[in-house]
Amino acid sequence: MTRFLISKLFYGVLVMIGVIIVVFSLFNLLPVDAARLTIGQRADVESVEAIRKDLGLDQPKWKQLMMYFKEVSPVSIEDNTPEAKEKFKYLPIVQTSSEKVLVLKKPYLRRSYQTKRDVWDILIDALPQTVLLAVASMLLACIIGIPLGVVAAVKQHSWLDNIAMSVSVLGISVPSYFSAMVLGYFFGILWHSWTGLNHIGGLFVIDDYGNEILEWKNLILPSIALGTRPIGTIFQLTRSSMLDVLSQDYIRTARAKGLGRITVLFKHALRNALNPVVTAVSGWFAALLAGAFFVEVIFGINGLGFTAVDALLKFDFPVAAGTVIFTALIFIIINILVDFLYTILDPRIKIGK
Amino acid sequence: MSELLLEVKNLVTEFNTENGIVKAVNDVSFQINKKEIVGIVGESGSGKSVTSLSLMRLIPSPPGKITQGEMLYHSSNGIVDLTKISEQEMRAYRGNEISMIFQEPMTSLNPVFTCGNQVTEAILLHQKVSKEVAKNLALELFEKVKLPNPNRVFDAYPHQLSGGQKQRVMIAMAMSCKPKILIADEPTTALDVTVQKTILELIAELSEETGMSTIFITHDLGVIAEIADKVIVMYKGKIVEQGSVLDIFENPQHPYTKGLLACRPPLEKRLKQLPVISDFMEINAQGELLEKEASVAKAINDRIVKEEETKARYEALIQQKPILEIKGIQTWFPSKSNLFGKPTEFVKAVDNVSFDVYPGETLGLVGESGCGKTTLGRSILRLVEPTGGEVLFEGRNIRDLNASDLKELRKDMQIIFQDPYSSLNPRMTIGNAILEPMQVHEMYSSDKERKEKVIELLQKVNMLPEHFNRYPHEFSGGQRQRICIARALGLRPRFIICDESVSALDVSVQAQVLNLLIQLREEFKFTYIFISHDLSVVKFMSDRMVVMNKGKIEEMGIADEIYNYPRQEYTQRLISAIPKGRLEDIKARSLIK
Repeated sequence: MTRFLISKLFYGVLVMIGVIIVVFSLFNLLPVDAARLTIGQRADVESVEAIRKDLGLDQPKWKQLMMYFKEVSPVSIEDNTPEAKEKFKYLPIVQTSSEKVLVLKKPYLRRSYQTKRDVWDILIDALPQTVLLAVASMLLACIIGIPLGVVAAVKQHSWLDNIAMSVSVLGISVPSYFSAMVLGYFFGILWHSWTGLNHIGGLFVIDDYGNEILEWKNLILPSIALGTRPIGTIFQLTRSSMLDVLSQDYIRTARAKGLGRITVLFKHALRNALNPVVTAVSGWFAALLAGAFFVEVIFGINGLGFTAVDALLKFDFPVAAGTVIFTALIFIIINILVDFLYTILDPRIKIGK
Repeated sequence: MSELLLEVKNLVTEFNTENGIVKAVNDVSFQINKKEIVGIVGESGSGKSVTSLSLMRLIPSPPGKITQGEMLYHSSNGIVDLTKISEQEMRAYRGNEISMIFQEPMTSLNPVFTCGNQVTEAILLHQKVSKEVAKNLALELFEKVKLPNPNRVFDAYPHQLSGGQKQRVMIAMAMSCKPKILIADEPTTALDVTVQKTILELIAELSEETGMSTIFITHDLGVIAEIADKVIVMYKGKIVEQGSVLDIFENPQHPYTKGLLACRPPLEKRLKQLPVISDFMEINAQGELLEKEASVAKAINDRIVKEEETKARYEALIQQKPILEIKGIQTWFPSKSNLFGKPTEFVKAVDNVSFDVYPGETLGLVGESGCGKTTLGRSILRLVEPTGGEVLFEGRNIRDLNASDLKELRKDMQIIFQDPYSSLNPRMTIGNAILEPMQVHEMYSSDKERKEKVIELLQKVNMLPEHFNRYPHEFSGGQRQRICIARALGLRPRFIICDESVSALDVSVQAQVLNLLIQLREEFKFTYIFISHDLSVVKFMSDRMVVMNKGKIEEMGIADEIYNYPRQEYTQRLISAIPKGRLEDIKARSLIK
């Protein structure tokens, strides 16, 4: 178990290093002067030079990359000065020399050109909205997709199966920004007085007493918009996987024991059929966590996707680069969790092999 | 003295297929008494499995349906017609009064639940007991079916057990509610002969002990001889003959029964060819059955090879220079590796094995599953890369060949696999399947010429030219195996490895394929390595025989000598496990009863 975790984490770190190199190269290839963007167009030459030095832009590229690595790594050796402490907000562990200290810190993804805020903090602030949205839409997709898939498999070629199949193809083919706009227009604007739902609205609002509270009804339309395509995929996967499992010998064994239909279907068959579904769900979930760019923009939810789009439009490179790295991290974590989930669902998959 | 338990009257089960309605079970009537073991025999498609599934009302519906007949079950509360009761009521009988075990122990247990869980589930379903009690009952059952370490098995998942152990768990599950009838549908067909023997003994013991009746379904009359009191022979959905096991073996009436009796490879005699069903009967154009050969004994005696002939053939074989020399071949698979992926422990699948094969010879390779015989066969062809030793084919070390030389060699050395169902691509016509290797090796000048050759080959393996454009699913298992043989022959090999090539087939079909292989050997002067777990088949086919165990050679020598005078205890065990179907054994058994 520990070995499994260690090897997964090891590969995770490797992937992260690769992602950071790619992100770094991409943003360095663009013909944009970071120092100018940081300080603004009207600054004098000295200030620009100072910033350039601070950002390490006068250094060779490979040194800049090393610096970036050091900043992003949660464990690093930093200067033991109040300025550095202020910049990285680190937690010292061991003094390595008179000026250097081994520290634990949150990954430093530099500061936004626009707001001068720490990028990590911006992303952490955006995360809850996105997580909420992703969880809600995936729950919706699973609650509808899986039972429907089971029923369609049992009643293969029935009218229900045929209708569900056609609708699911439609659901998969509709881009989520399109369904978002349609849903937003009809339910948020046209029928607003009847539904009471908003076209645009954040998930967290400040109430009269100054507390941040969750506005549930603003979650409904975006999660339906985002859930539509996963419902189709999950339905089809569950259906085909169930059809396969239902023809297996152990289903006949279960029936020969005298078990009822429901037990056979949901206890003996469904658990065997879930593996491909879990793969699909986790992929979708990670993708949604990475930010549902258009849907967040359309409904005005300031999650990760919104932040990323916003940053790109304003050439706010630290934020844009930070979003990519953050997303990669989310994918890796979800993948490790899913690998664990597989071993729970199917005992034949051994940990560590 | 014997009390009636189940009475089946004029049962008809129909399947709605693309080609119209098929009566899989057609007007079948039989009776089962208490404590009786009834064997149902027939080849695949004879309706024996459908009969048993009909008894459980487990026919997949649609397309299947019981359309006629009665199944009168004499329960303690009077007579019940199982065809008339509702699905709900039927569930109370399933697994409780009538239970069933299946052919494939590998796939009949649910892979995601522990064995204990699956057995207690059946107990909790039909008996009003607590979980504690159910667990204890399950452990008792595991003890009863002689599973080693019941506590471990209780918590084990099916994939952690061997095939024989899984079948024991299945039996424990079937026995869990003390059923009145146990239906065993080919319970030993997928198992090694040695394991088969122990399972048969277990079933016989349990039915003796608990007084339940057993319906034992198999394609192999030899197995029936070991266990049944009464035999029902089915052919094309109908019962053609039924009677006591002694009657059937001593004095078979129907030509089909005679065919089934004669087509098993005999152990004491060496035959040129095996008698097959078609030697005994034929269906003419009007659909009438014509009887041909009348006596089983005569059919066998006509085909005996004299001892001198065998000897002369053997002498001539070993005079030659070996076509294949195997020197200390090793194939090890890493079983454990350290953090950096470097293997630290190995499974020694093939460990230091050496032997020679002479041109025109058939070398038999026999052993239980897991003994390394399949890996050895594949290592010789380098389908699995050996990790040590030498394989010399006509003096050239195969292990030194590069990719293009190896491709050249594949033409000379071919393999026929075990499973005819999965070794043909379902989306390729059989003609193209045979043609493709010829294209790969650029044999003959044009596809037209190759096609002619393919048709010639199809005829060689007793198929028709019009089969060229058909797909594999349209053929039976035996036909598919013949297609696989044709595919191997297409490259004009000199050396063929048959890896369990007949193990998935019914005995009656097995006889046809074995005859074909022998006939082709005479015609093309092939050299075979014939791999099987069934010593009787290997003995029938081979000149010499190699017995393998745990990756090493136990014993090697002339096939008849090894059978008659086995030196190793392991070989003796393999031989004693073969169901022999001898009359004297059956008589002895019925006397004890």
